[in-house]
Amino acid sequence: MSLQEVVSPQAEEARLSALRQLTRRLAATNSIAMGVLWVITLLVAALFIYIIISLIAQGASSLISPAFYGTGDAGIAPQLFNTFYILILTELILVPLSLAAAIYLVEYAPQGPIITVIHFAAETLSGVPSLVLGMFGFLVFSVYAHLGISRLAGALTLLCLNFPLALRLFEQSLESVPADLREGALALGATRWRAIRTVVLPSALPVIITGIILTAGKIIGESAALIFTMGLFNPSNVFTLDPLIPSNTLTTYLYYLKGPGAGTSSLTSAQETAVAAGLSAVLIILLLIINLSARFIGRAIQRRVTAA
Amino acid sequence: MQLTEPARQATRHSQRGRMIDRAISVVFLICAILLVAIILAVIFFLASQSYQVFFQGATLKGFFLGTFWDPTGAVSGGAPSYGAGGLILGSIITTLIAMILVIPFAIGTAVFFTEAAPQWLVRVMQPLIEIFTGIPSVVIGFLGLITIIPLMQKLSAPITGNIPTGGYGWATAIVVLFIMVLPTTMSISIDSLRSVPGSVREASLALGSTRWQMMSRAVIPACATGLGTAVVLGFTRAIGEALAVALVLGGSQIPNWPWTLAVFFQPNVNITQQIASNFQESAGTSQYAYWTLAFVLLVITLIFVSISRFLSSRSVYK
Repeated sequence: MSLQEVVSPQAEEARLSALRQLTRRLAATNSIAMGVLWVITLLVAALFIYIIISLIAQGASSLISPAFYGTGDAGIAPQLFNTFYILILTELILVPLSLAAAIYLVEYAPQGPIITVIHFAAETLSGVPSLVLGMFGFLVFSVYAHLGISRLAGALTLLCLNFPLALRLFEQSLESVPADLREGALALGATRWRAIRTVVLPSALPVIITGIILTAGKIIGESAALIFTMGLFNPSNVFTLDPLIPSNTLTTYLYYLKGPGAGTSSLTSAQETAVAAGLSAVLIILLLIINLSARFIGRAIQRRVTAA
Repeated sequence: MQLTEPARQATRHSQRGRMIDRAISVVFLICAILLVAIILAVIFFLASQSYQVFFQGATLKGFFLGTFWDPTGAVSGGAPSYGAGGLILGSIITTLIAMILVIPFAIGTAVFFTEAAPQWLVRVMQPLIEIFTGIPSVVIGFLGLITIIPLMQKLSAPITGNIPTGGYGWATAIVVLFIMVLPTTMSISIDSLRSVPGSVREASLALGSTRWQMMSRAVIPACATGLGTAVVLGFTRAIGEALAVALVLGGSQIPNWPWTLAVFFQPNVNITQQIASNFQESAGTSQYAYWTLAFVLLVITLIFVSISRFLSSRSVYK
């Protein structure tokens, strides 16, 4: 109070102008920072959109040619078949195992060291480079387990690679089921397993399916883990369900065409590039479909939940 | 008290149910333990293969500091030589520079995305980020081959003297790694920024902060450990990235003059490229050399995972 009385008008004026200056400076910094962030974000968005468009545009001429989907030298029918075969084979092993592990962690496991150890293992495994896991798969499944360079060895390697991701997705799906439902079933005298089977799993099912779709995207896109375990070549007849033959997929074929096989495959260099561009476009489109369907299911669930 | 027949039946029934429940929990536990078994097996088998090269002619010093990589002896025509220093240097340089470029873009975009972006931009970016976190690495490698390499060749012509193989090498590998790692780092950063409660933002704004002050002084410090985790996981992904990088490096030896700018624009090597292109055909001692490289990669990623684990254990918001 007494301080204000002795402040002269000039000092008051100086104080106010200093404050005004401070506000101006803060506002200026703010708009500069916002401008920079806008630019960075738009650059990243433009980069992503450019990549998708340029990949599809480069593959467009292959995509519209019927021979591209055939079984000839420049056709990718064997690779498409192999990719979906290996996808289904892997999911058949991966889903039961990781769902069981997730159920154990969410429903049965007591809080404590078991959960910590398993989560630590999952985190560590998900950090291992897929190339290194491919070498591990080659040694353990192909050599020690005598599976050779085969689809089964590839699927088991993909199991090791995707186990952590599938576990986390399935854990999230089980955790999304409200605790009341479980407690209700248990209070009616159901055993834990009965409660899981009849109450938890049905209500977690849509989220579980989203999880399966997301792991499918990862399996289709994987390549480094497969080049040593499934090989880069096809036997003469790939359209069989035999799990013990080597085979290539969309991704490993793409790697072969532009990497070790460039110039040595049965195609001309221009054909190699055309097929590789087509493969890239097909992979991008598959990923877009997977992403869209996962979103669609997610939204359908939300609608169901909010309607209920 | 004598139980009636239906009551006895019910007891038996529930006993059976409890036994099934028990059995199932054990089976499920085994599935969960399988995960632990896998990672232990990975470490064990890689370790068991990795030291053997040192009993067959390689020395520790020669392996990590030597720069002539010729495990089969095919290049020199004589004794094999295990100098992986150049490969390790290649991995470190490409990963480090790529991450230095990724960090401002990833964190800048993530902060803007969660704190200030208009709704339409979020709706465009969200699916893009999701698609790019799962993009197959060979596809980006292919893009690098046909789009980035010609561009790099033109850009670097004054530096390299327009050699025909110009464009392949570390610079293109860095761009490819940037595209591969940016979405991952970004999406983990976004998750950790979203875990910061709104009250932190409101408190900061209520004290008269500008939006930028709110972001830089309140939100980013509040989830610094989360952003740290994102960066560390980005490093993990970058150093293990294989086929995309293998396609655009295109070398078999580190060039002889590694300390000029030109070295970035000519065929070069890193760890994963050498494993991807030569492991399959190798046998015997030379294969052991590739196992040692894989073990080096594994140890590096294990260190990164431990750091990220440590960071996330210290974070306040999860």
